[in-house]
Amino acid sequence: MSEALPPTWRVPPWWVLLVGVLAIVCAELGGASMVRFKVELTRWARGAMLARPAVHGLVGVRDVDERILDEALVKFDAGLRLFHMHAEGMGLVIIATTMVAATVARSAAVRRSIIALLTTGGAGYPVGYLVWSALIPSYGLERAKTIAEWLVWIPFGSATIVGLWWLAGLVALRMARA
Amino acid sequence: MIVSGPVRRPPLAVVLVAVSMLALGETAGAAMSQLRPQVQRYAAARIAANAPAHGFSGSAEYDDEVRDRAIFTAEAGLSFFHLHAEGVGLILFFASTLVACAVPWRRERVVLYLLLTLGGLFPLGYLAYGAAVLEVGRDAGIEVAERWILTPLGISAIAGLLGLLLSAARPRA
Repeated sequence: MSEALPPTWRVPPWWVLLVGVLAIVCAELGGASMVRFKVELTRWARGAMLARPAVHGLVGVRDVDERILDEALVKFDAGLRLFHMHAEGMGLVIIATTMVAATVARSAAVRRSIIALLTTGGAGYPVGYLVWSALIPSYGLERAKTIAEWLVWIPFGSATIVGLWWLAGLVALRMARA
Repeated sequence: MIVSGPVRRPPLAVVLVAVSMLALGETAGAAMSQLRPQVQRYAAARIAANAPAHGFSGSAEYDDEVRDRAIFTAEAGLSFFHLHAEGVGLILFFASTLVACAVPWRRERVVLYLLLTLGGLFPLGYLAYGAAVLEVGRDAGIEVAERWILTPLGISAIAGLLGLLLSAARPRA
């Protein structure tokens, strides 16, 4: 009698792997650019903020304005760092979780839905940090955050969360049936 | 040209822990951002309910500082949980797949799966860390979470990864 074959992984569609790898590549490029163009980026953000004093609440008093500008520049830099960190992580999350979905989801519709949620959510979410950073000089800290939240973080983050819990439920179901 | 055969996968129980940890990590990240005022209010209420454990003196200035530090530490616990759950979920996924592929001995595989899966629960220690700080005070809470949850689960993860390393390095017959 032959031994039962060990369970194996199934690979997700090639475009999903491409998106996962692309997210990691963008994260690496983002990290490298932050270091290489730090001075230029800071100069650009500072110039853009000084051009919109009302947006940032600048009053024309150096001591007060410098504190406001420093805080905004720290957040601007934090946005770029968080993009770097999240894009690296989410690239790996896309690859790992879509592999699980490709393996455990028997229904093609369910498989496609989970993979679509995980891939779009995972790839889109980190972009929110870039959007946040890019908007801070023009819209100010709070408005930039609100725009990034509603345009990117909430829709793409929700897609990832729904996809992950759906996948966890599916794995649990497969375990219960096995 | 090297062509890989099918890649073996770990048992579904291990996969479930990895995916659940990722899902919990994502959810905690969303909660940190969207429910921050509610989390802070809850933390302040728990601290007030456990005032003796936090060593309140009755001096408003001192008590406010103690409360702020405890809330900050509880929030840090949630933040560490988010970060570690994402990372450890992935480590469990990839390391257990390596165990499935690279360890030919069944008994060793089972032991490594167990160690890695226990290690995969490590991030839950940070949730306990945040909760314990609120319930038994900042220093005592950190001590409890580190000694009874984070250290044993962390050791389990390290032992599993070292075991995988040794198994992969062992010459095959």
